[in-house]
Amino acid sequence: MDFTIIAETNGDSLHPTTYQLIGAAASMGSNSTVICPNGVGSLEAAKINGVEKVISATGDCFNIFDGGAWASALSSMCGEMILISASPNGREIGSRIAAKKGIPIIQDVVSMTEGITVSRPIYSGKAMESLTISGSAVVTLRPNAFEAALAENDAPINVVNQSADVRIAIQEAINKASERLDVTEADIIISGGRGMGTIENFSHLEEIADTVGAAVGASRAVVDEWGMPHRMQVGQTGKTVTPSLYIAVGISGAIQHLAGMRSSKYILAINKDPDAPIFGVADYGIVATWEDAIPALKSALSDLQS
Amino acid sequence: MAYEALDFYDVDSLLTEEERMVRDMVRDWVDEEVIPNIEIACRDGVFPDEWRVALGEMGVLGAPLKGYDCPGLSYTAYGVICRELERGDSGLRSFASVQGSLAMYPIWDFGSEEQKNYYLPKMASGEWIGCFGLTEPDYGSNPGDMITKAEDMGDHYLLNGAKMWITNGSIAELAVVWAKLDGVIRGFIVEKNDPGFSAPEMKGKHSLKASVTSELVFQDCKIPKDRMLPGVKGLRGPFSCLNNARYGISWGALGSAQACFDSAKEYAMSRIQFNHPIASYQLVQNKLSWMLREITKGQLLAYHLGQKKDAGNWIPEHISLAKMNNVDIALEIARVARDIHGANGILDEYPIMRHMANLESVKTYEGTHDIHNLIIGRHITGIQAFTREA
Amino acid sequence: MNIAVLLKQVPDTTAKITISEGKVDEKSVSKWSMSPYDEYALESGLQLKEATGGNLIAITCGPERAKKMLTDTAAVGADTLVHIPDDGVSDSTHVQKLLAAAVKKFDSHVVLCGKQAADTNGGSTGPGVAELLDAACVTLVSEVNFSEGSFTTIRPSNSGTEKVIVDGLSVFAFDKGSSELRRPNVRGIMMAKKKPVESVTSSDLGVNLNPSNVKMNSQNPPPEKPAGQKFEGAEYVNEVVSKLRNEANVI
Repeated sequence: MDFTIIAETNGDSLHPTTYQLIGAAASMGSNSTVICPNGVGSLEAAKINGVEKVISATGDCFNIFDGGAWASALSSMCGEMILISASPNGREIGSRIAAKKGIPIIQDVVSMTEGITVSRPIYSGKAMESLTISGSAVVTLRPNAFEAALAENDAPINVVNQSADVRIAIQEAINKASERLDVTEADIIISGGRGMGTIENFSHLEEIADTVGAAVGASRAVVDEWGMPHRMQVGQTGKTVTPSLYIAVGISGAIQHLAGMRSSKYILAINKDPDAPIFGVADYGIVATWEDAIPALKSALSDLQS
Repeated sequence: MAYEALDFYDVDSLLTEEERMVRDMVRDWVDEEVIPNIEIACRDGVFPDEWRVALGEMGVLGAPLKGYDCPGLSYTAYGVICRELERGDSGLRSFASVQGSLAMYPIWDFGSEEQKNYYLPKMASGEWIGCFGLTEPDYGSNPGDMITKAEDMGDHYLLNGAKMWITNGSIAELAVVWAKLDGVIRGFIVEKNDPGFSAPEMKGKHSLKASVTSELVFQDCKIPKDRMLPGVKGLRGPFSCLNNARYGISWGALGSAQACFDSAKEYAMSRIQFNHPIASYQLVQNKLSWMLREITKGQLLAYHLGQKKDAGNWIPEHISLAKMNNVDIALEIARVARDIHGANGILDEYPIMRHMANLESVKTYEGTHDIHNLIIGRHITGIQAFTREA
Repeated sequence: MNIAVLLKQVPDTTAKITISEGKVDEKSVSKWSMSPYDEYALESGLQLKEATGGNLIAITCGPERAKKMLTDTAAVGADTLVHIPDDGVSDSTHVQKLLAAAVKKFDSHVVLCGKQAADTNGGSTGPGVAELLDAACVTLVSEVNFSEGSFTTIRPSNSGTEKVIVDGLSVFAFDKGSSELRRPNVRGIMMAKKKPVESVTSSDLGVNLNPSNVKMNSQNPPPEKPAGQKFEGAEYVNEVVSKLRNEANVI
């Protein structure tokens, strides 16, 4: 089976996911052809182990993101098995390439074994699905689910100039200060409780929230006592939330609070009291004061972002 | 978490597509707009005006009435609406009951064509709120001896007297008032600004706090001659209204009961004592199982009564039984739910104590529990036991 | 203007998903709803319809139960209800071919859909249908407007959002939109019950559902989460963060 990888880029360099796509193909015993749209990261891609050749796809059609134009420029260069990142753009290009070639697409795969058998979360992770592919397909891989390939290679680079009809145009860029998300829509929530000491200390939670694009929540105790907005309140009489990650800081975990957040996919609790009930529902618990834990958490998370 | 209605016998699967859609519409609205705001409304003792607007926009006021821009739904749909509203709060359902069954209905059934055309469209849209004046400070279960009277003054009527426990009184644009004209009970439409009419709000309730309750006071209240309802004389007028309202309550109480069951189940599953969820203990399971049993029976009662209402083969005693039974079990379910919630059950974090306090009113209004027993007793024996006089 | 809105009925996102004999047990789903992103597409479609005096065609490919969802869309203003039975549908190519054929059959000028369905979580349908229709596609949009003969839309960009203008037949795949789906009312419900759902089969659409080269082996509960882990002291923060990335895969 030959693998074609469409590189995921990060503006002007490869996104770390590209290494994982190549690693995934290598784990199936295959070398891969890597296509770099707009030529971005082609030199870097050539150095990654498992890459047989790099196609640096250039052309005006790559100046703006139009999934239709990109797919039309890229699909003729793709082989039997096509791997793309399950990022929004990756999913869109992959879908169009699959439809163009009349082959199925399987999105958001988290594991891949010989066969080829893949598994992917469905129902927002409430179940997993295992599928076997015989023949051509496009597969998008979830970022960070696969081992990244190392870079000790020197593969050849072909530059191919492509053209395609671009049917969309940017009329106006709207720069907006990133608003902090509401607790009901955020994928990560960091909430504080009475253990934060004073309302002013919530600024530390806000900083973390801004680093990872999280929402800031609060327990009822602090909403009532410190006059925080009710829309931040998580719990029985506040919002019921189900983020991927809920970080509870200085929240003891009264049953009314648990009622609003216990269905979160993962819960990280930070509390100085080792017997706090919040640890009973936490997947990860750190027994520490917020003063000690929050600065460390902030720097660890910003390291990941960069 | 999304509300999953307890429906052990799939009674709702008997609803028509239209009834199901109306149910979902009201249920979603209650989830999104009522439940998040009800505790504040209760604390402030107000009926939020947005709810009036929303009920009008959804088009559910006066649900089973046809024509005059009224919804024209089935009685079963009306019951379902009451149930969904009362899951939010009995005060909210009371608002809808009074508007539809007690104010719109008598105009629709006993009013003149002019009265219907003038009042009903604006009441169906929620623009005008109505109220219903029957009960008096000294005449509750015995309305026939009411004191409020009307005098024919030639070119107008003059009303004197007072009504009490009037839901929506102070926020109403109009009141349907029952008063004696030459010793015969007649219905009159009194408008907010009629001279000699006032509707002071009654404060200090521990029940139905998100509902407005008022007195209606008539001191030489002058109303035009065309405001009397021409189509009915005697107690049959107010009793026809009450039949419809009581029917709605028989469904509504199930909404409260389901809310209490839902909360109790959720709480019992998550509350850990002696290392295990209290739901794993037999005494708690016994309580939950009893709740399910009574709710299921109540649902069958309400649904079957709805079918009878729609088919027109019902008698008032059928309604008495359902109102009495379903309110009775709802109140007991609320109390047992409070018990399961332990001390937490008294907090406004949970809906329990609010429903419990509301249901104390619901048990009493629209024919007390005991009066309904007497209605059924009379049906069984043929002997009335309301009064010692024959 | 004919506005096609592609919709899918899915288990409500709050419903519990149970597995029975290697498959998600549909019978145990307590509540079926319209997929959340589809609701934004529908609302935007209704607004376009009001602005242009158009005709809204609600299309779904699914089992019999999905007809209910179509009737619900009629209660808020959909004009034509199209149900494509999903017999024989086993992969993304089938769904896309059927939907694209239906869009053509009903002579649609614009296609709106959600960015992904809440059950399969794929995100293939919008762009795939666009490809089959040789149409432009913009994904993750929050609103769509029509003026002077073309569509504009808002999509995310690196620096915030950007307003994009599109030429010709277009597919717009909605992320969270700028307006929530309107609530129905009794009048709409009464009209909806009279509106027929047109069933259009794959053969009506001239679509040949060739055998798929993807086989579903099984559906399973998600892997058990490891038991809760507790660490004494702030010095473990780094370790926990790396677990959040590598074990839990949530950051």
